Amino acid sequence: MTPALAVEGLTLAIGDSTVVEDVGFRLAPGEVLALVGESGCGKSLTAQAIMHLLPRAVRQLCGRVSLAGEVISDYPERRMRQLRGRKLAMIFQEPQAALDALATIGAQVAETTGRPLRRARADVRSLLADVGISDPARRIDQYPFELSGGMCQRAMIASALIGHPVVLIADEPTTALDVTIQAQILELLRRLVADRGTAILLITHDMGVVADIADRVAVMYAGRIAETGTAEAIFAAPRHPYTALLLAALPRLSHAPKSRLAVIEGRVPTPAEFGAGCRFADRCPLADAHCVAQQPPLRDMGDGHRSACWHAERVSA
Amino acid sequence: MNEALTVADLAVHYRMRHGPPVRAVDGVSFTVAASETLGLVGESGCGKSSVSNAVVGLVHATRGSIRIAGAEVAGADRRTLFRIRAQAQMVFQDPATSLNPRMTVGSAVGEPLAVRRVARGRALRERVADLLTEVGLRPEHAARYPHQFSGGQRQRIVIARALALRPALLVCDEPVSALDVSVRAQILNLLVDLQRAHRMACLFVSHDLAVVRHVCDRVAVMYLGHLAELAPRDALFAAPRHPYTRALLASVPEPDPVVQRNRPRVPLSGEIPSPANPPSGCRFHTRCPIARELCKREVPEWRPVGDSMVACHFAA
Repeated sequence: MTPALAVEGLTLAIGDSTVVEDVGFRLAPGEVLALVGESGCGKSLTAQAIMHLLPRAVRQLCGRVSLAGEVISDYPERRMRQLRGRKLAMIFQEPQAALDALATIGAQVAETTGRPLRRARADVRSLLADVGISDPARRIDQYPFELSGGMCQRAMIASALIGHPVVLIADEPTTALDVTIQAQILELLRRLVADRGTAILLITHDMGVVADIADRVAVMYAGRIAETGTAEAIFAAPRHPYTALLLAALPRLSHAPKSRLAVIEGRVPTPAEFGAGCRFADRCPLADAHCVAQQPPLRDMGDGHRSACWHAERVSA
Repeated sequence: MNEALTVADLAVHYRMRHGPPVRAVDGVSFTVAASETLGLVGESGCGKSSVSNAVVGLVHATRGSIRIAGAEVAGADRRTLFRIRAQAQMVFQDPATSLNPRMTVGSAVGEPLAVRRVARGRALRERVADLLTEVGLRPEHAARYPHQFSGGQRQRIVIARALALRPALLVCDEPVSALDVSVRAQILNLLVDLQRAHRMACLFVSHDLAVVRHVCDRVAVMYLGHLAELAPRDALFAAPRHPYTRALLASVPEPDPVVQRNRPRVPLSGEIPSPANPPSGCRFHTRCPIARELCKREVPEWRPVGDSMVACHFAA
């Protein structure tokens, strides 16, 4: 089956520093892939590169992105504009900041259809109702400041959906929301995948959200993919020491209170400090001379579970 | 007197240019015992930060009483407040904006001691070195500036400054919310160590229930300016008695796909109403799955049920 989205060998640089290196993954139609990692790991830059929305300072050195079988990484801006908001849509972390403060909700949702709101009104209203906006007949003419954060996120999802996207990129879509509202938005995204078969690339740092909604997970560390596999496999039997430590560092409702949480010593290296070896080596409990000397490739561990660790077999959850 | 903090019938109202005042906190009572950590949880706009700001005297209490180690904060004059604040120190969410970028770490951590003339000269430098060591930094870090540190290290500096006067009460407002997971674990471990070492009382404000469960002894749940439930940690998490507490717990995704996907989903419908115009009766009735006519009419009594205090007509 043709993947909804395929990224191969994506490499991004700021000046002389490579900030994202050889990142690749595939996303099947109707699948949710979570791209997880801590601040600065390159997950948001990866999303921006797919959308051709990289900040000016970031250059794409290589990499191929295809959407439903069509290579889009070499599209000129003119063609990307036709794609964005239609086959390829994106929603952001701060809905109130991402929406245009001076346009009504209805006008913004209608904008991507190319039709003025007065002609698209019925479609927009039914879509607003569909994403769970109460009283859509009134909301359609309101401005973002008149809506709560959760309602604005629903409006942004509506504006992403009106073009019937093949792929929806959701960059921390619930991070700015309260937990009860987060639960509502996750439920909405789940329904979207089930009803419309939209594939979702979910960028997040929240392992709880990943466990809730992702089919597969790609863990990023310092600009590279450390590990990728099904959500069940990643959580139950991580094959990269970074993932294992990250999971052990989480306070959980099932742990003894005030118990010791796992700590990852040191800090993430800056791109200037990247050496020839594994980027996690200086913080890794399993690291040896080989790890410092040579970058481990992503190796297949069976069942599509891949890990970029020389000692993947020795990692314990 | 065994209570480090006693809050009685606290109200914090904010006057608006137009319309009725926002009743951010409207009659909240609780105590924090010496060496105890009380978690204060709730969603944005519930009033939890207004409570913590009122406790350290950053906002005025509209009504009620706040006693820190026996001394009254509400309505205190500046001199009294200055004295009491030595007993109640605060750690904020964002360590990047809690430190003066032009002040060395040593002068920031030593400032409370210098301002109150507790120590000076060499004695001051030694105290600062001890404090930095205590929070996991090195004495030589005193000469550096905040920008030379990571987010986690900066939060350690802020904690060292808060500990400088050996306060009776530490107020932490979302102290780990701005930090990455691996760094968050370090700071949580540090806070648990400090609780054990100092027998210090702590009011821990957070929206993150997993974090609150990890560090707190008792937990208070706030909704729209009122307390919904206050209970010992294990009782609250094992057997929540207020329907809002139950909904809140059910909304936190557990980082385990097998567990998470088999949990019954009880998403709470609707959103938090405006605190400028709160619902009548029980403030939760507009979203409550078990609300009846009575809940719209009558404010539920704050009453003991088992080990817990609950404000719900139907809690049992």
